[in-house]
Amino acid sequence: MSDIQFDGVTKVFGRGGKPFTAIGGIDFHVNDNEFISVVGPSGCGKTTLMRMVAGLETPTDGEVRVGGEKVTKPGPDRAVVFQQFALFPWKTVRKNITFGMRSRGASKAERDEAVAHYLKLMKMEGTEDSYPHQLSGGMQQRVAIARSYATDPGVLLMDEPFGALDAQTRTIMQEELVRLSHVNPRTVLFITHSVEEAVYLADRVVVMGRNPGKIREVIDVASTRKAEKWSEEPIDDVMEMPSFTHLRGQVWRLLREEMGEDI
Amino acid sequence: MRRDYGPLWPWSVAGLVLFFGIWQAVVSAGLVSNFVLPSPLEVLDRTITLLGRPFAGYLLHEHVFSSFMRFLGGFSLAAVIGVPLGLMMGRFRLLEDIVTPLFEGYRYVAPLAWVPFAALWFGTGIGGPIMVIFTGAFAPCVINAYRGARLVDTYLIEAAQTHGAGEFRIAKEVLLPGALPSIVAGLRISAGLGWQSLIGAELIVVSSGIGYVMVQGQSNLSPSTVMTAMFVIGLVGLGIDFVLRFVEARVRAKWEGK
Amino acid sequence: MDKRTPWGRVVTRSSITGVITVAVVIALWFFLTSVTGIVGQYRFPSPQDFLASFVRLATEGYAGGTLIEQTLQSLWLVACGFFTAIVIGVPLGFAMGYDRRIEAFLNPVFLLLRPIPPLAWIPLAIVWLGLSDGSKILVIFVAAFVPSVINTFTGVRNVDRTLVEAAKVHGAGTSRLISEVYLPDAAPMIFTGLRLSLQASWTTLVAAELVGAFLGLGRVLSTAYRDINTAMILVAMVVIAIAGAFTTILLAQVEKRVIKWRTT
Ligand SMILES: Nc1ncnc2c1ncn2[C@@H]1O[C@H](COP(=O)(O)OP(=O)(O)O)[C@@H](O)[C@H]1O
Ligand SMILES: [Mg+2]
Repeated sequence: MSDIQFDGVTKVFGRGGKPFTAIGGIDFHVNDNEFISVVGPSGCGKTTLMRMVAGLETPTDGEVRVGGEKVTKPGPDRAVVFQQFALFPWKTVRKNITFGMRSRGASKAERDEAVAHYLKLMKMEGTEDSYPHQLSGGMQQRVAIARSYATDPGVLLMDEPFGALDAQTRTIMQEELVRLSHVNPRTVLFITHSVEEAVYLADRVVVMGRNPGKIREVIDVASTRKAEKWSEEPIDDVMEMPSFTHLRGQVWRLLREEMGEDI
Repeated sequence: MRRDYGPLWPWSVAGLVLFFGIWQAVVSAGLVSNFVLPSPLEVLDRTITLLGRPFAGYLLHEHVFSSFMRFLGGFSLAAVIGVPLGLMMGRFRLLEDIVTPLFEGYRYVAPLAWVPFAALWFGTGIGGPIMVIFTGAFAPCVINAYRGARLVDTYLIEAAQTHGAGEFRIAKEVLLPGALPSIVAGLRISAGLGWQSLIGAELIVVSSGIGYVMVQGQSNLSPSTVMTAMFVIGLVGLGIDFVLRFVEARVRAKWEGK
Repeated sequence: MDKRTPWGRVVTRSSITGVITVAVVIALWFFLTSVTGIVGQYRFPSPQDFLASFVRLATEGYAGGTLIEQTLQSLWLVACGFFTAIVIGVPLGFAMGYDRRIEAFLNPVFLLLRPIPPLAWIPLAIVWLGLSDGSKILVIFVAAFVPSVINTFTGVRNVDRTLVEAAKVHGAGTSRLISEVYLPDAAPMIFTGLRLSLQASWTTLVAAELVGAFLGLGRVLSTAYRDINTAMILVAMVVIAIAGAFTTILLAQVEKRVIKWRTT
């Protein structure tokens, strides 16, 4: 079981200077194997929220529990995919993918199998001995995602993972991520600033507001996706379905209200 | 837009010819005594002689070898202690705060000022010189490893943490490779300072090695011996630097485009 | 007041850790020497011995002079060697950076002499000039010369071409170009060279005085070594460090005055 429970989670930044409340008391529950997209105006604390789940930041108040256990430090049960990919430049694709597996003490056979499995899944066969800088941005992020999946975490945390990619690559990656999460269901917290991406990928979309960072609204997508059989259509077609555009409009309106004068 | 001077190599040739020409001319014309300045040819001749006839107990290359071995000892010690220390200081603020004041003090003490304590504590055979080399070579190892570690992107360390790496793995697989270009650059500086410190130690208290050849040459009023030794010292220093430069180029090439 | 560590981090009042460290080290020093005697006085002096030797050097003197005399002698030699070196080295480096023909002319000889560590010049200097002040100034000169030439050269060679062209477009002649573009733009690099030169000067001075001198801090060091007077050895080391730090800070002040426009 890898559910996430936020209990009165508050984060205040700034010792010395003026204290700044980035997250002001969040209560929320993410179910096991649920895919949650988080959207919200920039600076509303999405990254901070995710870092507290990862154990890279400690809540000032309240607590985060993953699988019932309080988060105190980073661990391989909560792998992070960073916007900047964060691949080790001095490690080959193979070594990067198996980095987290080696923390767990996976055998060589297991590791080889995982490398072959993920590279095949991402249509990147033959790149196992390349270095990251020899790959395109999209390929690098695929490797970063593979690294996190291969670590076999209960929870996957992704902070705008496709933010640094061009539009076409991004669409391809979105489709692949849907495929991957079918083959390999996980509890996912997916931060994005693209409403389309959020709706397309998520079971539920969390819309956040700011000052201080809080949850404004949670929108269910899973029931619509199942009823309208999104997963059987290519991404472009899904995005033109009335069921999709309806949800997208709903999220957009909420977001626009939150952004206020920023637009 | 760059000014055009025409070919530059004639200037270089002229410089070299003039340098050796004046040197040889001054000696040939008898302007200075042979006991003050030998001619370039005499130095060359002396070098060949010293390779075949023992001076101060050993042949020239044997002296060089013993100096070089001491150098390797002190330099390795400085690298083995300094680099991990610098990396850890880059990772842990507390360690940095503890070490900084002590290090500030140490940095201002000229390496050669350690010679008396080095000799008293470890003798003038192997231990003393190694300590002097160590004190000369230590600082750049620490500083560059520290700087390198600080330059490693935070999110790489966080990526390692969230994929289950402990502190040892972070140090070995993230900080060390990330800081490597800076570390290697530091090692080059260290090597130069360490080699020079050894020569100093050999001039002052040690009775063997290439520095000692100079001392003997000086007291025998044989400037050609002294200059031979200078020449060899420069050559070895150049060789050490060449090797490290090669390593540096390799490291950089591998890191290119990261 | 902001101060920077060698690693460039700003020291705040919060670095109480540093003060504690120093206190612990001094306490440990006391404990190992005076209190328990685990470290004997022929290895390392006790704090009391250290202070007594310091007072002795300051009042009676040691190795042929008092603290002031010994320190002034060393400072004098460093100053002579250092200033001669930069007065010749900076213009030379400048010329090499400004005109590629001069660079081509001097560089091979420079490359030939550069690998020889300054300390290796000490015996030759003694052959030429004996144990006089002159021989020490000569070696300090050699030591300080190289960094001032190289850094000035690098600074001038890497002068921002667009600035040069802008000045030319606005009608600056060679002398204005040099004084108003090349020098200011290369100044930070030149000062880096001077700092390295100064450091090399002290290292070399200590070595040269250890090899043979009638007066100076290195002479205090070598006499103390011969007497196996560890307290005086430590005193000499500390005084050398302080004198070196003093000149370094002085140079940094000059740099701050000269390069007023620097933003970092
Ligand atoms: N380490 C920090 N120290 C101080 N303030 C921070 C820190 N990290 C984030 N903040 C502030 O907290 C707020 C939320 O930041 P973040 O979580 O990055 O927002 P988002 O990811 O939604 O854009 C911002 O105003 C940001 O300036
Ligand atoms: Mg963010």
